Amino acid sequence: MSIRTALRITPALLLLGLALAGPWIAPHAVDAPVTAPYAEPGSAAVLGGDQLGRDVLSRLLAGGRDLVLSSLLVAVLVTGTAAVLGAIGAVRPIVGRLVERTADVLMLLPAVLGILLVTLSWPGGGRFAVIAAAVVLGVPYAVRLAASAASPVAATGYVEAAAAGGERLWYLVVREILPNLRATLLALFGLRFVAAVYLVATAGFLQVGPQPPAADWALMIRENSSGILLNPWSVVAPGIAIGLLALSVNLAAATLAPQTGRKAVTVL
Amino acid sequence: MAGQLTPDTTAPSASPVTPGRRTARTPVRVLARVGTVLLKRAVLLALLLALVFGTVEMLPGDAATATGERGESAADLAARRELLGLDRPVLERFRDWMTGLPTGDLGTSARGEKVTDLLSTAFPNTLLLGGIALLLTALVSLALGCWAALRPAGRLDRAVSGTATAVLALPEFVVAVALVLVLSLWTGWLPAVTLTGADGTPASWDMLVLPALALTIPQAGWNIRIVRAALADEARAPHVETAVLDGLPPHRVLTHHVLPGALPAIAAGLATSTGMLLGGAVVVETIFNYPGIGSVLASAVTDRDSPVIAGVTALSGAVITGVLLLADLVRDTVTGARR
Repeated sequence: MSIRTALRITPALLLLGLALAGPWIAPHAVDAPVTAPYAEPGSAAVLGGDQLGRDVLSRLLAGGRDLVLSSLLVAVLVTGTAAVLGAIGAVRPIVGRLVERTADVLMLLPAVLGILLVTLSWPGGGRFAVIAAAVVLGVPYAVRLAASAASPVAATGYVEAAAAGGERLWYLVVREILPNLRATLLALFGLRFVAAVYLVATAGFLQVGPQPPAADWALMIRENSSGILLNPWSVVAPGIAIGLLALSVNLAAATLAPQTGRKAVTVL
Repeated sequence: MAGQLTPDTTAPSASPVTPGRRTARTPVRVLARVGTVLLKRAVLLALLLALVFGTVEMLPGDAATATGERGESAADLAARRELLGLDRPVLERFRDWMTGLPTGDLGTSARGEKVTDLLSTAFPNTLLLGGIALLLTALVSLALGCWAALRPAGRLDRAVSGTATAVLALPEFVVAVALVLVLSLWTGWLPAVTLTGADGTPASWDMLVLPALALTIPQAGWNIRIVRAALADEARAPHVETAVLDGLPPHRVLTHHVLPGALPAIAAGLATSTGMLLGGAVVVETIFNYPGIGSVLASAVTDRDSPVIAGVTALSGAVITGVLLLADLVRDTVTGARR
């Protein structure tokens, strides 16, 4: 890994680390009022108070972990499923065509509406419903990339030889094809993480993910937007946090992507 | 470096010209082609609608329990279920829902209102907002993509591509908050909320600017990359090489030789953006209090009203199908003309 690559990945790693460790270094409790509602930044609260006078800085530090963990989980599940489906599709063309048709159908469903549809039809689902919907909606896009990377590998001599030698499908997929897709899958993981941050944050903003007492960046923006003039930091700080997370992870993903450069890759 | 407007003699031909099938484009053939495309899109839309209906049915919870008051008796619940028609077999209700769609009947919301009535003023408003954003996205991404393509690998190209990559990952609500803060609260140039006029549409045009910008910025970032990549791909084609060797000026090569071949990819990219725009509109409308489907969906979220969401999804699916159809036709026209 070159220094240039390392430099481009560092911001994302630092931010992810900070978001994960945030709840432990928050100076105040996230649910206790320490200032007046929408108090301006002062000695008690560095970034001022929110609509209930809770410390914005503490909520900011605490509000990223669930977003990051949910997005990571979505990215892992989507990348894993897409890799296996793509590899199977490369060996068994019927499965490949089926996957492609399903992807065509799901393309007609805007991801945000899909999330709303699932979370509302499944009232007890909470964060799990958001994750499930994000996985289902993300796989069709990811499969195309995985399949286009898997089909040349499946056409190589050693895979055909193994298939002719009577190896099982599972062996072909796990031992012969997937190990050769490492670079593509790493890039795919980065892109799916960016997409997952977008979807999980948007679900939080639409109030179908984490529910109000919880500290969550997207929810903070929604809750505090009426006090944006009194204490802009209550909205701007979580906005910057989400923006920086999306930008830095996107930069890292773009850096790790294999430099074929020709085809644009569908992100969302 | 990928994407130069000079011929790359080492690269294999990337021309979309397909050998063979040099049949004349008789009207019958054109009609048959259009018919096939229409049929394929219609089947996909029907499958999506089945999927949407199935999702609402399969997952736990229905409209009757969602709007239930605390301490409501089982008899009341059963009565409302009967009123909403939820006690009938799933297949029968699906058939009714599907056959109702072409006549404009999207079913009944959890509060007993016709979904069509709820959406009849809201959906056109959202289409107006989304249409403006799509137009802006197309103009901005074509202009910046072509501008960058004329100076491949230069500082401008890198700046445009870098900025595009940066903004495409931003959620719309983050962009919207930034826009409100800068263009409305600090400078006071534009209104931060949309006021609705007597006819249910936004009261003045400047109220459309901020919501449209919030939708356009991430989508433009995305489409600039597509335009740039499509132009770079097309620039490797043999006929572009010939045009460059003929000594045509770069902008003429771009407009007459590169751009036409790149149009199908650009149209497909914009068509894909339509879904993102409709989804993003839901979010952006909530921030700006814009009278579109966003506000309908916001109350549907509180009511846990999935029939409304299913109706909105059906309409969005139809709109996206239409735009994808246009992209199909662009592709067929361009590749057909080359034949």
